[in-house]
Amino acid sequence: MNSFPAMLRQQRWIWAAAGVLILWAALSVVSERASLSSLTGIARSVSFLTLVALGQMFVVTTGRGNIDLSVASVVTLSAFITVTVSGGTNAGLPLALAAAVAAGAATGLLNAFLVLKLRIAAMIATLSTGYILATATLMINRQVRGFDVAPALRTVATERVLGVPVIALIALAAVAVSGIVLSRTAFGMRLAAVGQNLEAARLAGIRTGATITAAFITSGVLAAASGALLSAYVGGAFLDMGTPFLLQSIGAVVLGGTLIFGGSSTAVGTLFGAMFLILIVTTMQVAGLPTGAQDVVQGTIIIAVLAIAGLSTMAQRRRRLAAES
Amino acid sequence: MRVSLRSDSDGAVLARQAEPIVSLSGVTVRYGPTVAVSDLSLAIAPGEILGLVGANGAGKSTLMRVLGGTTIPDQGTLAIGGAAVHLAAYGPKAAQRQGIRTVHQELSLCSNLTIAENFFIEQPEAHPQPVGWRRAYAKAALASIGAVFPGARPDMTAEIGSLPIAQRQMVEIARAVASPGLQLLILDEPTSSLDAVASRQLRDHVRALAARGVAVIFISHKLTEIVDVATRVVAMRNGRKVADCDVSEVSVAGLVEIMGGAQLEAELRRAREHVRDLGPVLATVAGTRAEPLATPISCRAGEIVGIAALEGDGQQALLKDLFHGGRGGASRSAAVAYVSGDRVREGIFPLFDVLTNIAVGRTARRPAFSVVSMEKEREHALPISRSVKLDPERFSSPITELSGGNQQKALVARALATDADILILDDPTRGVDIGTKRQFYEVIRAAAEGGKLVIWFSTEDREFEECDRVLVMSQGRIVRELAREDISEEAILNAAFSARAGATETKAEQGRSAGDWLRLALRHTALIGLVLVFAVMAARNPIVISEFGLKLLLGPAVALVLIGFAQMFVVGGSQIDLGAGAFVGFINVVAVTLLASTPALGAAAILAGLGGYFLLALIIRLCHVPAIVATLGASFIWYGTGYMILPAPGGAAPDWLRALTSWSIPGIPTPLILIVAATAVAIAIHRSRLGTVLRGFGNNEAVVERSGWPALRYTIYRYLIAGGFAASAGLAIAASSGAGDINAGGTYTLLSVAAVVLGGCQLIGGVIFPLGVAAGAVTLSLIGALLGNLGVSTDFNASIQGLLMIAVLGLGAAFLRRDER
Repeated sequence: MNSFPAMLRQQRWIWAAAGVLILWAALSVVSERASLSSLTGIARSVSFLTLVALGQMFVVTTGRGNIDLSVASVVTLSAFITVTVSGGTNAGLPLALAAAVAAGAATGLLNAFLVLKLRIAAMIATLSTGYILATATLMINRQVRGFDVAPALRTVATERVLGVPVIALIALAAVAVSGIVLSRTAFGMRLAAVGQNLEAARLAGIRTGATITAAFITSGVLAAASGALLSAYVGGAFLDMGTPFLLQSIGAVVLGGTLIFGGSSTAVGTLFGAMFLILIVTTMQVAGLPTGAQDVVQGTIIIAVLAIAGLSTMAQRRRRLAAES
Repeated sequence: MRVSLRSDSDGAVLARQAEPIVSLSGVTVRYGPTVAVSDLSLAIAPGEILGLVGANGAGKSTLMRVLGGTTIPDQGTLAIGGAAVHLAAYGPKAAQRQGIRTVHQELSLCSNLTIAENFFIEQPEAHPQPVGWRRAYAKAALASIGAVFPGARPDMTAEIGSLPIAQRQMVEIARAVASPGLQLLILDEPTSSLDAVASRQLRDHVRALAARGVAVIFISHKLTEIVDVATRVVAMRNGRKVADCDVSEVSVAGLVEIMGGAQLEAELRRAREHVRDLGPVLATVAGTRAEPLATPISCRAGEIVGIAALEGDGQQALLKDLFHGGRGGASRSAAVAYVSGDRVREGIFPLFDVLTNIAVGRTARRPAFSVVSMEKEREHALPISRSVKLDPERFSSPITELSGGNQQKALVARALATDADILILDDPTRGVDIGTKRQFYEVIRAAAEGGKLVIWFSTEDREFEECDRVLVMSQGRIVRELAREDISEEAILNAAFSARAGATETKAEQGRSAGDWLRLALRHTALIGLVLVFAVMAARNPIVISEFGLKLLLGPAVALVLIGFAQMFVVGGSQIDLGAGAFVGFINVVAVTLLASTPALGAAAILAGLGGYFLLALIIRLCHVPAIVATLGASFIWYGTGYMILPAPGGAAPDWLRALTSWSIPGIPTPLILIVAATAVAIAIHRSRLGTVLRGFGNNEAVVERSGWPALRYTIYRYLIAGGFAASAGLAIAASSGAGDINAGGTYTLLSVAAVVLGGCQLIGGVIFPLGVAAGAVTLSLIGALLGNLGVSTDFNASIQGLLMIAVLGLGAAFLRRDER
């Protein structure tokens, strides 16, 4: 029970959780308001980010520097598709959601094709598809006017159940499902195996290509879902609405304790990573920091955390080498 | 000290008189529980040519690594020139200083550099002049190659990677021979890719070196060469020296016998007496691979089939083809499990515990969302781990904490747990102690008795005593099938060596293949694209080729060319800068605000930006943060800072900055001059000693570092150069537009990568072309204009640039794959 996977023993997500608590306290002091309401206030932002970051986590887990830089464009495109296809009616909503999710899945499939068949580095491949999607979004933006949100979707994105935002419940469910898939299913084991040692995974009989493809598709679908919900929350779609998700999704994954080189991931950690980042942004907003400074702080924190993590793994490796010799 | 008693060559005469160059005594090297070299003593005198022979895994290479300073022995002493060496302070650099040079089997050249540049990387002091050094090195390199291989005419302008393997080996040998102060030359399989003529030339040169007093250790599987060139022969088996005699006392046949050894373990003999019942045919090998035997080879259930081959004779390819099934004439009709002896690369999952490492094989083909119960996996793994003598107590330990032998047991358990009917063993006992080996033999025997087909490649010829028959491979083909009663180490060695000796030496140099031409075209995509785009535009609107038209068109390209170079130097280190565009935007904003109002503050801000690149280099190198994430994080810092300085487009560039770009020479468009100047600077850096070392680091970091170049310092140089070009790009935008916009930089990140890719650079491996990048950048900036000219909305710019990049990279990958076949 306690043996799979190894990361559960290491509990790397605890650091992000501790960061969340500290920031929450800081935020409470700064805002001088009831701390619980300030937390539920940012729950929605955390939820949108968590959905995207979970997908990013699946891709990062496949290892060898795999990363999905197209998520930002998928979020925006999905928001546009949802708004335009539904036409602001509940009747059009199922088709709209299907179209948005299909676009996300297709993007993931295209990314996987570029990475696996054309052997283009994931970073370049997903950067390129991201730009192609941005063009598609731009074209929709030129031709469509009037952004009405389907009432049903607005309900999902804005209402609460027992005081908890529905969207937060959706995000929590996604975290739970991702966590179970990663730690309890054959797919989760294969995903981690592929990320740790691709050649060994192939020789152990794993269909490595299918596993990596599934990760990219998951990322596309989750980003699309987040984009659809985001459009309902903000009341429409606009260009660049997905942009913050690029760095933040990667940041949430890495801060949460998922290894950037792949092979080990934690869904709970990604949730805490997302909370941590959103709390930073919120704290900065409440503290009245200008927009630019917020970006600077975010970038600095992510680099600093990675640098410290890098130094500590180096130290660990040195200790292990010393112990062996 | 050991001295030849009888001798008839000059070298041996010298040997009798002089102090040994190197003497090892009582050297023992252990890898975990395995003893690779055991209590071995060896002295080499000036002028001696020592032929070192032994079967695979006998410990020859380990012994040479001790001499070369890459392996520190567990016991024993080393003396160089009669003086004892402090082993803890001994390393590759110290060995080189003492005049000990090794030519390894796997070549240590930077494949993206020319011959001359490779000579420079290793001997930077030989020709220190900043100008003309390349020609001096080329001359020296050609002389060194010519001295060893008279008549060899390698292409001195080509990168090493595009030379035939034989020429690469010549370069490697010539570079070692030419190293100053050479005392001891170690040649590890130097003739493996040389043809007969070059091999003879090398042996002649080795004799000449010996006459000059240089000692040479010559390792080869080609025993005729050993007998031909050596003055003294040392044979090793199982890490021990089993023979040490004058060359006149041995023959090829005698050497084979000494290496193999006559004594056979009775235990292994007994195993062969038990006959198993064979089941249906589970795997066959047909086609060209089995051609020498005239009939396809069928392997049956219950059989242990050995595969014997000298290193690199196609055994790996055969095993992988059998694993995949239906490739290269190898087919199978049952499920297969693979056990590799290369545990780190092909076996273990380092982050999993032992039980998960075993279970992963069983779960590989289950439905994706089936729940894995570790309890059930444990129950299933228990009897198997007992049968392979792996203690179930270790199930929850991280696999990396196990010894090599126990790791291998876990891998065998993984294979047995899958219930596959075919077991492929790829040298599974590599680096495993003898006790564990015996346990393996029992497990394998039991598996065969249980009706499995075992296909077993081993580098330890003794293990074939366990097999029902052995297929001996040479040069990719199965040349001999030894039946059970014929299996012996001598028979295997004889078969492998005679096939090799009989094979015609066909590894001659080849001309440029079609693939090379295609790659050449691909490399020049940017230039071809540039000409095409220009032609189309000129055809549609002749004003384009006027001075005014060019000025208008090329204006925006200046900044793109500069940022393309910034990205190129980062890519040259096999890294990427995702913050380049944002940095350009930041500098642009600084230029139109601070630099205009308070020039000193502005200059300080730009320097601070470069300081940021300096910090990035430190973080990437010292903290091992991937460049992609570090620079992506930095992009937010650049953007945020720029946004704080200038939230909305505006500002005004200082007049002196505008003046830098507003001058003109009649008849020549100013932007063209700027582009040419920027390209000249980039080419100058690229071709300088600094640029050459940077490219070397991007290609083969370990080798460049071993030659004494500090990696951290050169990472800093790399990022400062990139920062400098990016800063110039920001200033150029400010100068040409007169205003600033922090968002202006955004699209430049993708564009810079696209320019680099279009320019024919490779994202991994340090292969970059400044001229291509310049052409790529200009092409990209013209595409926007062309699309406008054709009436296409500028909305499409980004996606067309993205598509172009995918197309170029995809084509490149397709050609690469064709080449591999």
